[in-house]
Amino acid sequence: MIESMPTAPSPGTGLRIEGLSRRLGQRTLLAELNLQVGPGECLALLGPSGCGKTTTLRLLAGLDAASAGRILLDGRDITQQSAGERRVAMVFQSYALYPHLSVADNLALGLRIRGMPSKEREGRIAAVLELLQLTELRQRRPAQLSGGQRQRVALARALLRQPRLVLLDEPMSNLDGQLREELRPELRRLLCGGEQPVVYVTHDQQEAMGMADRIAVLRDGALQQVGSARELYERPANRFVAAFLGRPAINLLPASGPRQLGLRPEHLQPVRQGGIAARLQRREWWGNQQLLWLETAQGDLRMLVAADQSLPEQLQLGWRPEHELWFDSHSGERLAAL
Amino acid sequence: MKEQRLNSSWVNSLLMLPALVLLAIVFAWPLLDSAWLSTQASSVLTGLTPLANGGANWQRLLGDARFWQDAAVTLRFAGVSVALELVLGLAMALLLHQPSRGRGWLRALTLLPWALPTTVLALGWRWIYNDPYGPLNAILRACGAAPFGFLTTPASTWLFTVLADVWKTTPFVALLLLAGLQSIPAELEESLVLEGASPGQILRRLTLPLLKPWISLALLFRLAQALGVFDLVQVLTRGGPAGSTESLALYAYLNAMRFLDFGYSATLVIATFLLLVLLTALGWLLLRRRALEPSR
Repeated sequence: MIESMPTAPSPGTGLRIEGLSRRLGQRTLLAELNLQVGPGECLALLGPSGCGKTTTLRLLAGLDAASAGRILLDGRDITQQSAGERRVAMVFQSYALYPHLSVADNLALGLRIRGMPSKEREGRIAAVLELLQLTELRQRRPAQLSGGQRQRVALARALLRQPRLVLLDEPMSNLDGQLREELRPELRRLLCGGEQPVVYVTHDQQEAMGMADRIAVLRDGALQQVGSARELYERPANRFVAAFLGRPAINLLPASGPRQLGLRPEHLQPVRQGGIAARLQRREWWGNQQLLWLETAQGDLRMLVAADQSLPEQLQLGWRPEHELWFDSHSGERLAAL
Repeated sequence: MKEQRLNSSWVNSLLMLPALVLLAIVFAWPLLDSAWLSTQASSVLTGLTPLANGGANWQRLLGDARFWQDAAVTLRFAGVSVALELVLGLAMALLLHQPSRGRGWLRALTLLPWALPTTVLALGWRWIYNDPYGPLNAILRACGAAPFGFLTTPASTWLFTVLADVWKTTPFVALLLLAGLQSIPAELEESLVLEGASPGQILRRLTLPLLKPWISLALLFRLAQALGVFDLVQVLTRGGPAGSTESLALYAYLNAMRFLDFGYSATLVIATFLLLVLLTALGWLLLRRRALEPSR
């Protein structure tokens, strides 16, 4: 479990976002975002589609203009700088490889544009091809590569520029599940822990929890909470964060008065006496665990238990009081434990 | 299984038959008939009855100064107007590709010249160029200049005929290239922007290479059309003055319709056709080889 909360970035290092907003006509795509990402830290922007995470990334890259706010990179205000001046590398969801160029030329094009002498250029390309085990593929066109290879080329192109900030826009969403899991440690090894901050956009909570040092959850252009995966999971700021993180999703019991109780499926357990009566409806057996769908007077609940645990049709459900998550039933904000 | 496939391929061929028959009737038959006619004497002198005269028509063609002049006029016309259309069409496509308000209307508007029948626009241009009453000369007069005979000297007539053709067909090229531009994903350009590329560098390094198949297509289409130009010159200039705008197609038409020499007209038609096939095949081969070349 990742809990390493890096020390707060000192001024002049890392990325600092202050009151960043983007409006288009009447629509607010991003409202007053404040965030800090330390050098070498990987921050995931997590949220459903349309939450403003890609908007944030494009503002950081300089591809779109901010309506308000400032972006500070290594202490310098880059808000007004053009995309080309920022020395920011971005890995696009589609990888954006130039289809008419070979792998080596895909890497070389940016350096050519910046006017790097060919000797230095070739050296750097050879090194990064070696690092990403792409040397064999250097003459191939993008169309001749697999999805995973394309992603590596896109990464190589980003690293090659020795950027001061790395942005990744759903870099794994075009890969199949197993490859994604395999690539997470490699991506972390290559990108994180260096000098540059990394901002990683994803809608996949598992990917965010596996990749990032900290996660910022966005919804409708507004930041909900930022913290380590564990902080977000155990102490969600509100109902939305609680429901967005964790699969199967948290059980939200019907609001009783001003408060609403949330219970994670893995925190429910059968008890001998007390608790609430439940009837087993359906069961999904996952091999390592099983998910039980239960009918109770409080509505349907999901319970996650060990795969080999056998349970009767009728049972009593209980939980430990410290696992209770209470929310304001109107605003959704989490309330301090009673 | 095998039988089924054989059967289906037989059915496929059968389904293509009507199209093949149609093509044979409207394309192959007139072509072969003309080829045959080009070996016949068939004019008022023979009472329009075809009489075999061996290669006499073709011999005449080789020694016909007017044919060679018209071939030069046609090639020059096609070369210059297609080149101008490609450059202007590309510029227009790049402009129309920019996001802007009312882009849809703008696109429809630019297509207008192409949608007009050539004869109509040729009549329009004849009036615009009219000396001394046309609008262009009215503007010149308003500016205090002397009226200009746009369609009086060979050089200027040729130039203004090219301009009229460019005006009409640039939108076609622009539309084709615009479709090509829209097929290029926006992230590719954004990725280059992040590398610090200028608009000129993006055009040279990314847009033009990716647009190459579309440019080839526009080039071949337009070349084939321009080499067969007839209606524009027929209405605008009738090939004059002094044959300076007489295309091969117009010369073939004159031989058939004015001199009633169908044998020689057929010879000209076949010669034009061969020239066209040769040039388009050459262009196609060149462009295809380029496209297959490995990038540097």
